[in-house]
Amino acid sequence: MTEEEILKEQEIVERSKRNSRDFAELYEKYFDRIYYYLLRQTDDEEIAGDLCSQTFVNALNHLGKYEFRGLPFSAWLYKIASNEVNKYYRKKKGKKIFSIEEIKVRELVERSNTDGQQDWDEEIILRLITYLKDLPIDMLHVLQLRYFEDKDFREIAFILEMTESGAKMRTYRALDMLRKNFNIKVKYHE
Amino acid sequence: MSKHEIRLRRQKITARGTERFRNYGAVLERHEKEKRIRKILRVFTLLFIILSVAMLIIIVIRMERKAEKKADSTYIVQTHLPQSA
Repeated sequence: MTEEEILKEQEIVERSKRNSRDFAELYEKYFDRIYYYLLRQTDDEEIAGDLCSQTFVNALNHLGKYEFRGLPFSAWLYKIASNEVNKYYRKKKGKKIFSIEEIKVRELVERSNTDGQQDWDEEIILRLITYLKDLPIDMLHVLQLRYFEDKDFREIAFILEMTESGAKMRTYRALDMLRKNFNIKVKYHE
Repeated sequence: MSKHEIRLRRQKITARGTERFRNYGAVLERHEKEKRIRKILRVFTLLFIILSVAMLIIIVIRMERKAEKKADSTYIVQTHLPQSA
């Protein structure tokens, strides 16, 4: 997202603070992304739908407190959505679910497999799933935001309430473990 | 045992799936309702605080009056000890 686009979006936010109806533009723009983010964390369409609505209601309720920090508005929505998911799992007291699309895993794997050392068949994808299962949850969060939601480190740091260097470090560690486990070259792009 | 579960979704999520949940009208309605509730709660909280402060002031004033009355009804009786021979 360019700086100009971010500033334009901020204008809509300021307008929405005065009139809630103007928020519809941001709702339409980000609904799908927030919904898929929640679906990836719940693997249930109904729950993802409910949490998504709650995310936008919360965003509207607290829009007056929103402070512009030079980030896309979506980062704030992701943060609210992330809090909603955490609240949901605390209440449910169940295992946290990460639902990953096969196509995304393949993309990640293909992106990683730059030297063609290994052919990525079903077995390796399943091994990758097992590897992800063993990763600490905070590392998984960072990886999810970085590779499945295409967020940059500044946004990740804001969403997960950590420092930018902390987000980079976690990604690097996770990728390093991936490298060792699968004997592949992984691109670490900023 | 890990605290999370990884599930592999074989089919790609399509945009069609989101349509039945997309409803800005409902979101706006919920927001307005919650806003009204918050306003009412704020008014009640303010009233509660005002009433509590008023009650406290009344109690303090009453206690002070009681203490004053008690002071008025207290007599000082001077007594002399018998002088020793």
